[in-house]
Formats: sequence, C-alpha cells, structure tokens
Amino acid sequence: MSDALLDVSDLRVHFPLRRATPFAPKRTVKAVDGVSFALAKGRTFGIVGESGSGKTTTALAVMRLTEITSGAVRLGDESLSALEGEALRRARRRVQMIFQDPYSSLNPRMRAGAIVAEPMELMQVGTETECRERAQELFAQVGLRSDQLQLFPHQFSGGQRQRIGIARALATKPELVVCDEPVSALDVAIQAQILNLLVKLQEEYGLAYLFISHDLGVVQYLCDEVAVMYLGRMVEQAPREALFGNPLHPYTWALLSAVPRVGRRRRDGAARLRLEGDPPSPISPPPGCRFSSRCPYAEARCKAEEPVLREVRPGHRVACHLVREDGTAPLRPATL
Amino acid sequence: MSGPLLEVEGLKVEFDTWDGRVRVLDGVSLSVSPGETLGIVGESGCGKSMTALAVMGLVPKPAGHVTGGAIRYRGEDLVKASDGRMRDLRGNRIAMIFQEPMTSLNPVFTVGDQIAETARLHLGLSPAEARKRAVEMLRAVHIPEAERRVAEYPHQFSGGMRQRVMIAMALACEPEVLIADEPTTALDVTVQAQIFDLLEELRAAEGTAIVLITHDMGATAEMADRVVVMYAGRKVEEGPVDAILGNPAHPYTQGLLACRPNLQLGHAAARPQLHEIPGVVPPLHLLGRGCAFADRCPRAMPRCGEAFPPAYDVGESHAAACWLLEEARAA
Amino acid sequence: MVEETGDGRPETKARGLWREAWSVFRRNRAALVGLALLAIIALVVVLGPMAYPVDPFDIVGAPKARPGAEAEAPLGTDYLGRDVLAGLIKGGRPTLLVGFCAALITALIGITIGALGGFYGRWVDGVLGRVTEFFQVLPALLFAMVLITLFAPSLLTVTLAIGIVAWTSMARLTRAEYLRIRELEYVRAARSIGASNARIIWRIILPNAMPPIMVSATLATGSAILFEAGLSFLGLSDPNIMSWGLMIGSNRNYLREAWWAVTFPGLAIFVTVLAISLVGDGLNDAFNPKLRTR
Repeated sequence: MSDALLDVSDLRVHFPLRRATPFAPKRTVKAVDGVSFALAKGRTFGIVGESGSGKTTTALAVMRLTEITSGAVRLGDESLSALEGEALRRARRRVQMIFQDPYSSLNPRMRAGAIVAEPMELMQVGTETECRERAQELFAQVGLRSDQLQLFPHQFSGGQRQRIGIARALATKPELVVCDEPVSALDVAIQAQILNLLVKLQEEYGLAYLFISHDLGVVQYLCDEVAVMYLGRMVEQAPREALFGNPLHPYTWALLSAVPRVGRRRRDGAARLRLEGDPPSPISPPPGCRFSSRCPYAEARCKAEEPVLREVRPGHRVACHLVREDGTAPLRPATL
Repeated sequence: MSGPLLEVEGLKVEFDTWDGRVRVLDGVSLSVSPGETLGIVGESGCGKSMTALAVMGLVPKPAGHVTGGAIRYRGEDLVKASDGRMRDLRGNRIAMIFQEPMTSLNPVFTVGDQIAETARLHLGLSPAEARKRAVEMLRAVHIPEAERRVAEYPHQFSGGMRQRVMIAMALACEPEVLIADEPTTALDVTVQAQIFDLLEELRAAEGTAIVLITHDMGATAEMADRVVVMYAGRKVEEGPVDAILGNPAHPYTQGLLACRPNLQLGHAAARPQLHEIPGVVPPLHLLGRGCAFADRCPRAMPRCGEAFPPAYDVGESHAAACWLLEEARAA
Repeated sequence: MVEETGDGRPETKARGLWREAWSVFRRNRAALVGLALLAIIALVVVLGPMAYPVDPFDIVGAPKARPGAEAEAPLGTDYLGRDVLAGLIKGGRPTLLVGFCAALITALIGITIGALGGFYGRWVDGVLGRVTEFFQVLPALLFAMVLITLFAPSLLTVTLAIGIVAWTSMARLTRAEYLRIRELEYVRAARSIGASNARIIWRIILPNAMPPIMVSATLATGSAILFEAGLSFLGLSDPNIMSWGLMIGSNRNYLREAWWAVTFPGLAIFVTVLAISLVGDGLNDAFNPKLRTR
C-alpha cells in the first residue's frame, strides 16, 4: 500500500530472559515475531488476541516504547524505527497513545489541565496561554467541563479519566493514535460513551487508530480491518466484513465461538469450538504451526511445518495449512 | 422444582464512612433453587458483590453492618446465625469463588493442601483421605495430571488453571450453593468459555444452585435461568432470562443491553451510534429519596426524584421497579 | 451529540494529595499528640534560651545538687555543678540540628542512589546495589566512630558520619518505589509525549515516590538523634557545644550519685524521638491509600 500512513513490516520484538547461570543457554521470549501490516489515514486497524499474543507489545513497538529487535515501522515518509534521540522525541508528536488503565495512566500529582497541556509544553507548541486555551478546547471536545481543569485525577470517575487520557493524546494533533484496550477497564455503560467519543474524534480529525483489544464485539464495532494474533504471529488478517463473516483460521473460530452472546444458551449444548488448556509459553512455542498444540483440526503437517501468512482473497490473509487456495475452509463448524 | 434453597429478603447493609453512614444495599430480595443459575447484573458499585459477601457472612467488619432483612438457607436465617454456624456453612454448604484467582490462593501452600484443608475442616476427613479428595476435585475441574499437580504451588499454575483450583476448593465439600463473583473477568476469552462450561457441567450433574455475578449481559444470557438487575444497592428488575433480554422493562436494563457492541457473526452494520447511558453511578452517600437512576434516565419524570418506585409485575415472575410502569398501567 | 458527563460529585475544588493526607492525619489522635509534643519541643528549643539565659557551661552551684536543692538550678546540677535545666534548653538545638541535617543527608544520598538504580536498572542498578550493600554491611557505629576520630568530633563531622552510615535503607526504599512506579502507565505516557529521562526521574516519579520517603525521612530524624546520643555517650561529640548527648556522655560515670544529670537529657531524647515516631506513623497512615476509606 503506497498511501499507508503507518507501515509495519516484519516487526520483531524479542526479550532476552535472565539466565540462571552465565553458562546456561540464552533464552528469549519472542513476544512479536514477524508482524506486518499497513494502516491508511483515517482508518482503524484492530489487533485481537489473548494474553501473550503480542498485541500490546506490537503497540508499544509502534510507539517506540519498547526496543525493536528487527523490522521497520514507517509513519508516512518518516522511518520511526530508525529515529533516535531528539529526532525521535520530535516525531512522537505525530503518534500518540491511549492507555488501558485510566487509573495508572494519569500522574496523580498533576492537575488535569496540566496533564493535557504537558505534551504541548514538551513539544514547545505555542505559548503558555495558547497551551492553556488549547487544553480548554480539548477538554470541551472530550466532554469535560473547563472548571474541572484544576482537579486532580482521583477526583474523576474512570470514564472521565479516560477522557482526560484521550485529550492528552490529541494535544499534539497526532495523525495516528494507538489505543491499547481503551475501554476494557471501564464499566459497560461507560464503554459506549468512550467508543462513541472515539468515533466522533476520528471523524473530526481524520485520525488513524491502531486499536488493540481482546474484546471482539468492540473490535467489530470500531475497526475497518482486523488482525488476529497468536503467540507473537498474525494468524489471520482481513477487512472487518470478511473476518466476522467468513473467518478462516481455526483460532479465529475458537475466539468467535468463545464470546458469550445474547441469543445462545450454553445448556442447549450449542456446538461451540472448545479449546483445551491455555496458550503455550512464548518462550518455547510448539514446532510447526504455533496453534497446532491446541487446534482441534491439527494434522501431522501442522506440527512439522509452519504455515506462512498468505493472501487467499483480496485483503484476506491467513496462516493455516487447512485453508484451500480458493479461500475456503472446509472444516469450519456450521455454527460459525 | 422444589422451594428455593437460598432466599434473601429485604436485605439492608450499611457502611460507616467518612461521609457518614451509607446504605450499600437497600431492600434486596432474591432466591435461588437447586439446579438453577441466577444471574446478578449491574455496573461496579451497584451492590452485587456486597450481596454475595452478605450471604457468605463476610460483610467487612467493623465498618459494615447488616441492618435489616433476612438471608434464609433452607429456612434458617443466616443473619442471626452465630459465627460458628457461619463457619460451618461457609465453604461447606455455601461456597464462593472470586474474581482474582491470583490473589485468592495462598502462595505458600500447595494447591492440594489448600483443597484438602477445606475437606478436612468440614468433612472431617483424615489427611490421607483429604488428599485423595483433593486429587479427585482437581480431576473434576479437568486439570490434567491431577496426581502430580496436586503437590504444586499456585504460582506454577496459569490464570485459568488457578481459577479451576479455586472452583475445586469451592466444590470440595459439594456445596449446594455456589456464588461466582465475576469468575472470568481476569481470564482470556477462550479460558472464560472453559470455566463457564465447567460451571454449567456442575449445575447439570450435581444440581448445584449457582449465583453468577457479572457485568456481562452475554455471559448472563448464556448461563442464567433468571436474572436480577441491580443499581445503586437496589434491585431494579428481576425475571426469567428470556424476558429480561427480550423484553426489558426498566430503562436501566434497556440501557445495559443496548450500550454493548455485541459480536455479530456475518454481516454487521458499520459503526451504528451506540446507545449511551450518560453519567456514572452516583456515589451512595448522595442518594436521595427517589429512584437512583433518575439522573441518568432518558425517560425520567418529576416524580422519579421524589420516591423510589415499587416493583410492578410486567409478566410471569418478571417485575421491575419503575414509575413508568405505573403510568403505562394507568394509561 | 450532547454529552452528559456529570460526575455526581458536588465538589469541583481541587484537593491535592497533601490536603487529603492532612485530613486523614487530623483524625489520628496519637499523631496529633506527637505533633503537639514536637511543637512544644521546638518552642522550648528556639525561644527557651531567651527566657532562661543561663549558660549551660557555667558552674552555678555545688556539683551533683539534687533537683530542687539549689534555687539556681531547679533540675539540679551535674558533676561539675553546671545547671541541668540550662543544658536541656540549650542542648536541644544542636541535638535536633544534628538529627535533622543527618536525616537530610540520608535522604539526599538515599534518594539519588535509589532513584538512579531503580529507574535505569541493569548495570547501573547492579553497581549502585553493590555500593548500597557495602554500606549496609559496615558496622555503622564503628564506622561512624572511625570517621569522627579521624576528623575530630565536631557537629559537622558527627552529622556527616551519621548521614553516611544511615542512607542505605532510604536508598532501598526509593529504589523499590521507582521500580514500581516506572512500570505505571503514566510514566509510559510521559515518555510517549517526549519527556526526557531527567524529567521522568525527578519531575514525574519523585513526587509520586515522596510519601513513603517522607515517612522514612521523619523516622530517620528520630534514629539520627538516637545515634548522636549513642556517639555522645561514647564521648564522641563536640565537647564545646552543649547537647543532650554530651550531657549524658559526660555525666555517665556519675549515674549513681547524680541520676538526674543523665535521666533528664535522656528523657528529653526519649520524648523527642517518640514524638517524631508518632508523627511518622501518622504520616504513614495518611499517605497509605488503603486506609483512606475506613
């Protein structure tokens, strides 16, 4: 994609593990192991997965908040992954982040107004009065009152704190906002408020969102394109309609079938795809397909040979040996 | 179905805080029968966890007090029961599993010891028998290699496995009532599905009465027979699960159902505006005489601020506490 | 879109952490008693010498006079016939000064080393950790004694010696706080908006790490006073400046004949340290969010 705002190619983030003795073999956690995707201006790219899938690490790597082992992250014409020092600091204004926990993401010792103004001060955008005016403006935009600028974070509710976090992220007029589970710590009724706000702000500013979530309902609601991650790899990536209408990877099926849904009774024994056990450790992923140890359809080939992510339909990519070249998955349960 | 096993009637719990005495639960009534799953739904701070703690006799002392109502287990009022009697029942006839499987297990004992302790305490088993029981229980909650894992410590288990251990502990004495307080909130979605399957299996096989406390309407829909919706310490709606989901009568229940972007397989409309419940749950010390939801209710009327509405029947064993229902009836 | 985000709280007054902490502290009776005691001690130490201008080094009467026996010395005289009350009033100043300054040095060294080790981790933490351990395993009293004998006993050397042997626990506490706070999302947020390391260490993490450090510094003042008394008892304090420790140290051989010359300064130290501990405990409760709502 040439018009991509964000272009991530073959991103790897490996963490060395502390060795018990200096002579023990070197071990690494391959938290993100070869992830590529592109995101156009004004669009939303969602990454879903369970804990240990590497989705948050991917977000942090894009933000340059964790060290990138290899691969490239480009933002427009700038290579984010190659920048260092002052150049990186200056580039940060173009990409901002909304964090998961509205309680720990705001400095408890700063007033709300100062929290929102801080990015502008650090980036030296405008004078002090301009910063203050812009903070007021941002406050109004995220639905807070300007008399609340003087309050401290603990005087706000969770949803309001998340609004402050959103205002902070917008302060430097970024082009890309990375949202790391922005609503999962909030009460259901508050989630809707924040999701609506995110949609409204995207339309107003033409923002691109990289949206990290474990909540498939939220991802389906918000994202134009969705990638499913498992143990550091993308197993499936497709436009929303295709991923939820025609999911191809058995892990995607398992995720979709695990989500509790209105209109389905567990006791009716509705045929659901059940996964046994927990995801294996990313320190020693199983050989072959990483999902093969839990996949109910795994064949001998799956345990020996790692499938590559291949495009089976326009924009629909999947890493599974069992998907045919014509883009059909013969084993998909009828309930999906 | 026989009569209810556990019956809560007009339960009132108050807390001393620096803002004065706060009523955390105000006249909550519910009941659950053998083999039945009751869902309790609401936002945080609505009193659903406190209801569970009150049933277990675990209202935090000295700040909290049960100031009214009754909790009847097989007709025996637990509010009046002695501490000794409560210890007998707790973990034995009525058991509870908590939200945080990481902190609810004692890290310095093996999981086997922790399960065995409950069994020894309540069933009077010998150490050897209790150990056997622990292995049996681990097997019952589908932990592979139970004989080996019984001697392991909690940190050697993953989150989902720990929640299974918690369930094994809770089930060691074959309780008649199992209270599950957000049992899957800390877990991944595929693991959550496993835990729900396990609970459902238990209910079907042993006839355990389950009280499932959750904020997730989807989980309630899949698991519960009946649903109680709570708001700010009060029950605002109660009914069979199909009626609550299909024909909710209280504006709060309607809001809860509409504000979630539910997963839809196949085609889904692009980003419909989500229904919002504006504002937040009010702090309990600021509650007035009227309906606590009035401030956030799209259909609030002047009288909503004046008095709390009684429960109106809107269908078979389906009732909601809302003045709109009286208006509708009058019309 | 009309957005109602009313939080249901009537207050829009900003209440910072310190104000909240004070509102908790205020309800702690023991801490208030400690604070009152400290205020009285401070008053006596600051204004006392003006109200009672007797030189504590002057010989005012017979040696070892019992309290009340001589009109000039209401609390008796020491083995040289010097006024014990004058010593108590005048001697408070250097004692408190040493305690306070030593605690300050402790905090400066401890916070710097703990902050750098906790923030940077890796080899920085490794090196600073070893340094901390080195100072921790030194026998504190012996080391302080060596320093003081090397550089002659003066208020400054005593203060420095105490500061140098006592900072390790502060460093460990600060390091632990930094390790905890640096993983919080607001630190990550600060980095993502381009804050430098120095800003994160001193402007963002430090204020948040301050509450337990404050408590520890308060208690460190108490232990510095005790340490100073211990050194004085061994004869290692400035002989030209009257302090409570010096009074105890110089009169210790006459404890049996003139108990008052040792007991009263001892009591003064005891009450001061007790008051400081009470305040420290009160601060601890006030800053501990778990106790915020009963």
